Amino acid sequence: MKISLNWLRDYVQLDASVDEIARAITFLGFEVEAVVSTAAPRLEHVVVGEILTRARHPNADKLSVCTVDVGPAGGVKTIVCGATNCDAGNRVLVALPGAVLPGNFAIKLSKIRGQESQGMMCSPDEIGMGGEHSGLLLLEGRPALGTPIHEALPPGDTVFDLEITPNRPDCLCHLGIARELAAWFKLPLVYPQEKFRGDLSEAPALPGLLAGVRVDSPEDCPLYTAHLITGVKIGPSPSWMQERLKAVGLRPINNVVDVGNYVMLETGQPLHAFDARRLGGNQIIVRRAADGEKITTLDGKERTLNGRMLVIADAQRPVVIAGIMGGENSGVADDTTDLVLECAIFRRQSIRGTSRQLGLGSDSSYRYERGVDPHGTLEAAYRAIDLILETAGGRVAGPAYRLGGDVPWQREIVVTHDYITERLGFDIPAAEMRAAFEALEFTITREEPTVHPARGPAWTVGIPSWRDDLDRPIDLVEEVLRLYGTERIPPAVVQAPGLVADDDPVVNFNRRVTEYLVGHDFHECVTYTLRPAREVATWVSQAAAQELALANPFVEDQTHLRPTLITGLLETLKLNQSRGVAAARLCESGRVFMEHNGQILECAAVAFLLAEPVGERVWRRREAPDFYTAKHHVCALAALAGVEVANAAAAPASGAYFGWQEGHAIAVGGIEGGWVARFGLLNLAMVRALGIEGRVLGGIFAILPEKLPAAAVPPRFKDFSLFPAALRDLAVVVAEDRPALEVQRRVAQTARTATAGAFAVENVALFDVYRGAGVPEGSKSLAFSLVYRSPARTLTDDEVNAAFQRLQDELVKTTGWQIRK
Amino acid sequence: MQDQLTALLAKAAAELPAIASRPDFESAKARYVGPNGELTALMKQMGTVPKEQRPAVGKLINEAKGRLQAQLDAALARIADAELAAQLGPPVDASLPATDAGPGTRHPLTQVREEMCRILRKVGFAVADGPEVESEYYCFDALNTPIDHPARDEKDTFYFPTTARFGNISKKVAGEKYLLRTHTSSVQIRTMLKGPPPIRIVSPGRVYRRDTTDATHSANFHQLECLYVDRNVTVRDLKALLDYIFASLLGPETKTRFRPHYFGYTEPSFEVDLTASHLPKVNKPWIEIGGCGMVDPSVFEAVGYDPEIWTGYAFGMGLERLAMLLYGIDDIRYFYQNDLRFLKQFA
Repeated sequence: MKISLNWLRDYVQLDASVDEIARAITFLGFEVEAVVSTAAPRLEHVVVGEILTRARHPNADKLSVCTVDVGPAGGVKTIVCGATNCDAGNRVLVALPGAVLPGNFAIKLSKIRGQESQGMMCSPDEIGMGGEHSGLLLLEGRPALGTPIHEALPPGDTVFDLEITPNRPDCLCHLGIARELAAWFKLPLVYPQEKFRGDLSEAPALPGLLAGVRVDSPEDCPLYTAHLITGVKIGPSPSWMQERLKAVGLRPINNVVDVGNYVMLETGQPLHAFDARRLGGNQIIVRRAADGEKITTLDGKERTLNGRMLVIADAQRPVVIAGIMGGENSGVADDTTDLVLECAIFRRQSIRGTSRQLGLGSDSSYRYERGVDPHGTLEAAYRAIDLILETAGGRVAGPAYRLGGDVPWQREIVVTHDYITERLGFDIPAAEMRAAFEALEFTITREEPTVHPARGPAWTVGIPSWRDDLDRPIDLVEEVLRLYGTERIPPAVVQAPGLVADDDPVVNFNRRVTEYLVGHDFHECVTYTLRPAREVATWVSQAAAQELALANPFVEDQTHLRPTLITGLLETLKLNQSRGVAAARLCESGRVFMEHNGQILECAAVAFLLAEPVGERVWRRREAPDFYTAKHHVCALAALAGVEVANAAAAPASGAYFGWQEGHAIAVGGIEGGWVARFGLLNLAMVRALGIEGRVLGGIFAILPEKLPAAAVPPRFKDFSLFPAALRDLAVVVAEDRPALEVQRRVAQTARTATAGAFAVENVALFDVYRGAGVPEGSKSLAFSLVYRSPARTLTDDEVNAAFQRLQDELVKTTGWQIRK
Repeated sequence: MQDQLTALLAKAAAELPAIASRPDFESAKARYVGPNGELTALMKQMGTVPKEQRPAVGKLINEAKGRLQAQLDAALARIADAELAAQLGPPVDASLPATDAGPGTRHPLTQVREEMCRILRKVGFAVADGPEVESEYYCFDALNTPIDHPARDEKDTFYFPTTARFGNISKKVAGEKYLLRTHTSSVQIRTMLKGPPPIRIVSPGRVYRRDTTDATHSANFHQLECLYVDRNVTVRDLKALLDYIFASLLGPETKTRFRPHYFGYTEPSFEVDLTASHLPKVNKPWIEIGGCGMVDPSVFEAVGYDPEIWTGYAFGMGLERLAMLLYGIDDIRYFYQNDLRFLKQFA
């Protein structure tokens, strides 16, 4: 909201500099977004001059050559000029050589098309006063020749553009800000004194102009007042009022409309003036609109209303959308002579709802939505009447209407000096606190000592009606601190008594997995949580995709929660490839959302991509990563969450591979069990369709946050044998589709049985997979290395050989697998 | 015999150093000490030596045997060394670049977040976490946000259909809607509902606003909030924390200032500015960095804390904004594009 300094000075005698005032406003709690001065800048060597002659430039059609008298000190100058709006006799501002204009534009003697120019005549734009560049600034009032610029131009104004927080509707006006500044600078505040104060004893009674006012919806309109003014003459408002309105960004319309705006900007109370003759039936009815009822508002647009919206209607039709905007045909026109002046209070929620539904806001609705003080309504009406009589003539007529609004305001807060001090953590003298309350026009109705005599008093503080935001002792702490100044809060050392608490398991999980992946040369990425529908559909079932959808997405490519981190990483890969940046290892940790039985589960997750480094050329290439590289990383990441993936059941995810390449990727676990891992090759066709070059491997591990271990359990040491191991190798021939893990488990289990507990089978590790000569078609040979060891002695060849033979016999007997010699 | 032994040793000393391969060595070894070797043959002659000479001859033979073995060992070691040397290949060109990928990089948002958490951990804040999908209660109601507050509008906040079910995110009120949290303050509510004070947490996390994406806005971004609840927590303590945080992050000359402001869940409330004259691309003396205040008594009432006993403060800020200030980044979208040329600058 724009606030004019000149206007503020009507109510409080501010002598402080603009910087000091801006600082005061800032620390009172209102952000100063801009300070704009319309005062002329002090510029050296820019003085008043008079054009004596003006002639065509001999060498240029669009230029003229003028002689300009710049006063006794400067004499007469010859100046080349491009402007067309000047002529002999005009007084203008002349920048003489040596002047430096805004934008660091230095004026020097120069030659323009062969003609010497001894200075420059200025447009408003050139001296930093904004506006158009179209012509010279022609001075009014014939200031003396040679007068410096800042004495020649009117003093101007300074306008502060403020952001008013929603709790302070009382400051959406000049009086409100003036009240705050008066409190800050400890200056008296002078309110406007109305001449008209509701006395109608001398006023003519003209009931024909407004026969009745009815409020059908008192819950939406707790106070409605209407006054009549007869015999007004519509015309422009006086220049002082126009200047002020323009300074704060409003366009002057006519005297009556301008008064309404002026009083709103002065007091915060919106007003509306009707042409009495244009009110059908000379009635005002405040009611809810009928569903489908229409009104064409002042901005020329037809609006369709509904039954929740409040309107001001005449006997036939709505004439105003209450508190928001007037209709086209009931307002003040050039020929209006009789006015009905509305000054009312509407329920905040009603105005907000209507404004939002219609997508229509105004200065008036902005204030009503935030709250207008009902106890200032009549004052504002009287003030507007004074100003209308002053600027448009006419006289007040009867009858006046006042419906509702009789709720008395009384609010008192009891607060002690002690309470405020305890909340602040430092001492402000009681007298200073009391002075702060009084400066803000709070009334101290009682001051009593508290039970603890060493401590300060307890106050009963009466809250003024415009401060509806204050109703608890804590609210007064802020008021005291605001006026004391937050810059005066004394410095202190952080008090940090130990609170024994661990970081959240999800936080630790994200940290560990990121450390792991970055340590393995991955680049950590951050991608959007919201993904497009078509993409989500390629990763989960249609039913699951439906559950992930937002009710009110904002843009088309961000409609669904992400079920995986892989897609964001693919997008990153694509972006890098398309920019010619080689990217091979990308990772991300963050939330994913997985569907199970119609429910969505929010999971912690980590994922990575291993891509071909397209575009990267190196003098020697390392072995390319493959499925087992992805497996290695996923197993390591899961282990950081306390989950063992390597030996868990691995199966294609119930036939649904979605973004993964069938036969080259795997799903392990299930979110219903607390975690899930997927890894392997990403679907070749999908990757190609995304425009990504090369094959891409990926892996993701997701876990329910509640399944993450809260604290690491220290491992328990297990003793191991110091006697030598006996090693045996065993190769078995099995069907091609039999998983190696199953064979390994069978071998290990059988080997253990075969030692009959006499010694241990320490390890059974697969070390070779062979297909080819000696192995039948459709089969493969898996070779395992077995480690036998005793905790108590060195094993003999004979006992190991016996156990190894029993293992082979048993395997052949129970499985039918061949032992490859 | 002595002459024979001397001659044998001399022959070995001449021959062995010239042997270059293991097979040659093995055959030479066999010729001296193998079953048919020359030394073996001499040893076999011991039987023909007169009995009284045997100790002396035996001693000679043993000495010769020891010296021959030493010569053989030396030859073998020399051959083994030569073999290892042959495996090495030519010396490396140490100036060639390494061809392994990397090093990996942590995202700048992670770095800023972890640095803030580290600073706060030092003064006793534990890192808390909570769901990104929230219910209206945790995101708004408990934080003193009136039902018609603009922040709750469907224009500004992402909601889920009333039918949506989130299996591991609890609702407080039957029938309330799920939404994407608009701030991490919901973590404060969940933490306070979980246990009694004192509480000191920092909650970094992802938040969502229904907003146009441009240089300074993003549909999701990251916040970091602190909450401290205890007896006798004061405005002065809050100011001390902010001074500490930014002096730790930006250097001891960094100052903060509070400007009174309004938030529904704190009273009094402040916006926090910091002096940032030495930061890149900053030309204002004060930069707005976050919001803070004393926890509003109504929030304590919502979570069942007695506001007569407990006081507390809360502070929140945007992590992207902090990272942008710190590194001189002028477009928030860089964080989400992950161009490697961007990511590698913060390693």
